[in-house]
Amino acid sequence: MNVALAILWKDLVSEWRARDRVVAMLIFSILMAVVFHFALPGSRPEELQALTPGLLWTAYIFAALLGLNRSLALELDNDALAGLALAPGNRGWIFLGKATANWILISLVQAITALIFAIFYGVDLVPALPGLALVVGLGTVGICAAGTLLATMAVRTGFREVLLPVLLLPALFPVLAGAVEGSLAAVQGGSIPFESLQLLIVVDGVYLVVAFLGFDYVLDE
Amino acid sequence: MKSPLLTLRGIEKRYASVKALGGIDLELRAGESLAILGPNGAGKSTLLRIMAGLAHPTSGTLEFAGGKHDRGQIGYLGHSTLLYPELSARENLIFTGRLYRLDDPAARADQLLAEEGLAEVADRRAGGFSRGMAQRLSIARARVHAPSLLLLDEPYTGLDEPAARRLTSRLQSLSTEGHALALVTHEISRAALLAERAVILKAGSVADRVENEALDEAGLARAYARALEGEA
Repeated sequence: MNVALAILWKDLVSEWRARDRVVAMLIFSILMAVVFHFALPGSRPEELQALTPGLLWTAYIFAALLGLNRSLALELDNDALAGLALAPGNRGWIFLGKATANWILISLVQAITALIFAIFYGVDLVPALPGLALVVGLGTVGICAAGTLLATMAVRTGFREVLLPVLLLPALFPVLAGAVEGSLAAVQGGSIPFESLQLLIVVDGVYLVVAFLGFDYVLDE
Repeated sequence: MKSPLLTLRGIEKRYASVKALGGIDLELRAGESLAILGPNGAGKSTLLRIMAGLAHPTSGTLEFAGGKHDRGQIGYLGHSTLLYPELSARENLIFTGRLYRLDDPAARADQLLAEEGLAEVADRRAGGFSRGMAQRLSIARARVHAPSLLLLDEPYTGLDEPAARRLTSRLQSLSTEGHALALVTHEISRAALLAERAVILKAGSVADRVENEALDEAGLARAYARALEGEA
């Protein structure tokens, strides 16, 4: 666990000083909001309310891809990834530290993105906040678990920017299914369907276990 | 005679159809210093990465002290520094100490920074270091957990003469203290100064082995030239 905390500390301190990942993800999310604004002209408020969860998750997924790619690319500077691979013990803790750092940074961007979407589309997200936060938080666990593992696999290849989406997006279909349904219910003021939460929790659990155990192999050359 | 610390038997490494290493047998004992020499592309760095546990051999076995390979007993310095540019020198060492589960990584970091002459720049970000300073910090990083085997790939790269002398002296002390060293270098004079044995690689295979008494600079240079006869 100490190793996971050390990685978490290192990633957050590095990002606080460089601020490149969060800024890149935020700019991308703002641009997505602008693109959707032009793509959906003259939509009525109730239509926008129904569309907001889907639009939000589209922005979330693509911003996360950007952040995950960058998170591992940073480990290639000075071959720091080899430094992590050399550490003794279970490499699953390295995964857990990196995935947690990714979750914190992506969640921060998601919160700001939700605010931007609310302003752009005039949707009041305040009443939906607790439910939305729960669904987004759970969905992001799945994104970060699968994403950290697959980004580590993709990072040493010459075409990592292409490979990560190709590998990750299919793995996120079940996450998206649960997250969009749950988010829609939260935004429309209803209770979140149990099936959505159940799906997210099961997928998160499976991805966390697989990534924790599989990280030992993906760190090797 | 001391028992072998690291034993390599029949190590082969292929990248697709390209053979990087072919059937390397090697033993390294506690406190022993080994120089690995050879021209560019001979497989020296690949061999060192396999010894470190960073790369898996295509075939062959690797044992540490008669058992499984133990990453915790190995310190590695590669072509890159393995440092995080946004962290300070001290933070880099503390972070590495935490990866190796040291009880007091901060104290160890301060000790190593002093030994490498970096105490005054301990709180400066590693990203702003010159090549030589980064190399010294990287050497400290490799030693943070006091490994029983230190693998060094061109450790003199970027060091000025005083820093290179200090590194030689430090490596000699480590060897005297019982640490084993494996050193990849192009500098025959430094190899002769530090190592008790040398292997000369050529095209992924051992072309020659040079032992104790023959390991003066002139003898090593002759063996190196002989081994590489026919190379362009």
